Amino acid sequence: MWASTRTVSLQGAVGHVVDVQVDVSQGQIATNLVGRADASINEARDRCRAAIENSDYRWPTSRRITILLSPADLPKRGPHFDLAIAVGVLAAGDVEFPPGALDDVVLIGELTLDGRLRCVPGVLPMAMSASARGINRVIVPEPQINEAALVPGVEAYGARSLRQVVALLTGAEVVPEAPPVEPPTGQLLLSWRGEARLEDVDLVDVLGMEDARFALEVAATGGHHMLLTGPKGAGKTTLAERLPTILPDLSPEESLELTAIHSLCGALPSATPVLTRPPFRAPHHSASRAGILGGGSGRVRPGEVSKAHLGVLFLDEFPLLPSDVVEALRQPLESGEITIARGDEDATYPAAGMLVLAANPCPCGEYHPYRRDNRCTCGEVKRREYRRKLSGPIADRIDITRFVEPVKKHELRDKLARPESSAAVLARVTRARQRQRARYDGTPWRLNAHVPGPLLRESWPLDEAATQRLDKEVYGGQLTRRGATRVHRLSWSVADLRGLAKPGLDELEVALRLRSATPLDLAMIGGAA
Amino acid sequence: MTSSTRRLDPDRAARVTLSRVGEPGDPRLTGLVAELGALTVLAALREQGARGQLRDDHAARLERVDPGAELERAARLGIRFVTPDDEEWPPALDDLAHAPCLHERGGPPMGLWVKGPARLADLAERSVAVVGSRSATTYGASVAAEIGAALGEAGHTVVSGAAFGIDQAAHRGALAVEGPTVAVLACGVDRAYPAAHRELLDYIADVGAVVSEAAPGCAPTRIRFLARNRLIAALSRGTVVVEAAIRSGALNTANWAAGLSRALMGVPGPVTSAPSAGVHQLIRGRGALLVTNGAEVLEAVAPAGEHTVPLQHEPPQARDLLTPEQRQVLDAVPLRRGAVTAKIAHTAGLAPQRVEDALSTLHAAGLVERSDGRWRLAAGPRLAVAPVG
Repeated sequence: MWASTRTVSLQGAVGHVVDVQVDVSQGQIATNLVGRADASINEARDRCRAAIENSDYRWPTSRRITILLSPADLPKRGPHFDLAIAVGVLAAGDVEFPPGALDDVVLIGELTLDGRLRCVPGVLPMAMSASARGINRVIVPEPQINEAALVPGVEAYGARSLRQVVALLTGAEVVPEAPPVEPPTGQLLLSWRGEARLEDVDLVDVLGMEDARFALEVAATGGHHMLLTGPKGAGKTTLAERLPTILPDLSPEESLELTAIHSLCGALPSATPVLTRPPFRAPHHSASRAGILGGGSGRVRPGEVSKAHLGVLFLDEFPLLPSDVVEALRQPLESGEITIARGDEDATYPAAGMLVLAANPCPCGEYHPYRRDNRCTCGEVKRREYRRKLSGPIADRIDITRFVEPVKKHELRDKLARPESSAAVLARVTRARQRQRARYDGTPWRLNAHVPGPLLRESWPLDEAATQRLDKEVYGGQLTRRGATRVHRLSWSVADLRGLAKPGLDELEVALRLRSATPLDLAMIGGAA
Repeated sequence: MTSSTRRLDPDRAARVTLSRVGEPGDPRLTGLVAELGALTVLAALREQGARGQLRDDHAARLERVDPGAELERAARLGIRFVTPDDEEWPPALDDLAHAPCLHERGGPPMGLWVKGPARLADLAERSVAVVGSRSATTYGASVAAEIGAALGEAGHTVVSGAAFGIDQAAHRGALAVEGPTVAVLACGVDRAYPAAHRELLDYIADVGAVVSEAAPGCAPTRIRFLARNRLIAALSRGTVVVEAAIRSGALNTANWAAGLSRALMGVPGPVTSAPSAGVHQLIRGRGALLVTNGAEVLEAVAPAGEHTVPLQHEPPQARDLLTPEQRQVLDAVPLRRGAVTAKIAHTAGLAPQRVEDALSTLHAAGLVERSDGRWRLAAGPRLAVAPVG
């Protein structure tokens, strides 16, 4: 007897529909699992056998069982193959399924020894790749039904046990009872959540800093990377934390993309799984390379760069990051994705978030070149070493650099200051992003920061005078070619904020200053500041 | 004390009339009034049948002036007219009589239209003009606000215009610390120019003073800004230019400050910055004093010794306190592998006995260490200040 079921294997964010073929025949008694399965799938034999027996079905003990995961050359990982294997064994054995019942359904779930289902990470991307292959029925552990149902067109079925799955597939009228399945994430033991703090922040609390506020707005508009330098306590974190408040909600497809990544980490709340707000991630500089970039033992997990996809990745005290992590950030900065290469497996995850780097002027954070109350205790050599990390390959890939000065006493007490709220800035950013969407319609790009340089120069050049000026900067050696492209993109973001059809000299000037950490004119920010 | 409640003094009436009919700072009028008095000049202008350029220029406007009604209308708007006869008149304005004209503007004003509770003479006694470009950078605005706040905290008045950029930043810095400020306008003090600064001007009129030579209702014309600049310079003890491009109006104020022998100061910016180019020219060519913060401005304008700024220097390091000979020895001490005294003496080119003395002093200061009779540089931070004999 022979049967075939289907499930999905994930390689990074790429999913492959896998056939699980089971053959039960005469021969030397054995259970063979072939097709580049990892350890957790090999253990499936034992889990499936116990689950089947404990669900009052019969494991074909006296037969030779061959299980092939096809295509055979694709490495496969994860315990979620259990369900497809168990159903395959039953179908090849003595459970009768209606003809075609197993053809257009993907089975996802880990089995316990007593035949119940357990949640697995990555249900959303699995459902997405099944749907992309034209298979729109998905059976998943019950708590993850909402996650699978996020994919448009997918019919998701939740089950609690192997018996329930069999009942579903055979069209039985009575679905057997089973205890509910544990939700996917562990229970939070603490009531305090640091992220809750971020829900209340607003730009209206930021006094002064007109320059940095404007830079933040431009960054949000075009998705530009940013470097904030300034002494300890100047407000770099305050600014960065407010960047998500001026980013528009994610579009349905963006939110699916982001949710899929978080699903791979197994960290979605089952009640409201879909992420609609741009994420803000702020890993500490002592986080591991795998934590920031992705990796880990076993399955290649997405790192913070990918969790911050379409949102903000904030790296405070960035020069203290290990230099190999800094070097590895180059790829996501340039291409918006990150590839983690392993011996037999490459995992590529999207990583098109905005990077916000913050750096103190020196390791102790007290150095100020012009202050008489300079309390810095670092030696000149240490300071130079620290600053060297700021320049180099990363700096060339940063679009906006701003020096943030601590708010002064008179700014705190300025009665005529009227700081804008995040909502007001968000309205402008949203309009500017709509302009970009319209302009890049029909291309894979959504934001100025992501449009490739040659295409940008070709299809969306600056106006004549601005182009000449930019060329002059490049030939004069003040800008690299890559730098010029970044300035070009920034000019577009400024023009989009201003509602202009094309960036001109003034927009270019703003872009050049944003990039070179030069103060802006008040008139550039909006005049009445 | 409004004009309607007292009998109108003829000289005051004449000055109101001249202020209404004459262009602000027209030296033909200001010069004659300074010499002959307002009454005589007005009578000459009104002389029937007589002709002359000055009379022809003013004849049309002269027909329709009623000084009493002017003052009453102004009083209703909370505006008073201050003349040299008033106690409130700042004597500093009289210096304009001796300053050379610029752009055919000069001389003391007929009077000043003032809105605000503060007494003008008090405000002008200790005051600094903070001026600069309308198209200032955030750097310039930030420095102007810092200077404004420092002046305000020291009780000095900030005098400036009401334009975007440096002007408003300086006012706001001072207002934030509840310091006195004076806004000098080119238009009538009842008007807000630029319109976006209505709130700022109302605020200054509530706590300080908004001042103009032009009668209420007058429009801000280009030439009136040039006349206005001389008042900003005259009303203050010194003028700070924060940011000004090569062709900025702020440089006109600076020229007035120089012509009035007031202190002239400039805040430098990046040498590549166009908005700072005018200031750099002032420092280079006109001998403006380079200032970098409010304390330095105060030092320049306050009576000698009142606001001195201590010279800045890095905290002294142990090495700074050594004698040249001791440094010569220190330079000869190896970093890692120690050397005996004789070797160090040879490297330093000094007699062994003197090297011995120097080394023991350096040892006491923690700069060198000794092991097995060999000397080498001490490890660890060498920032601490140590007494050196």
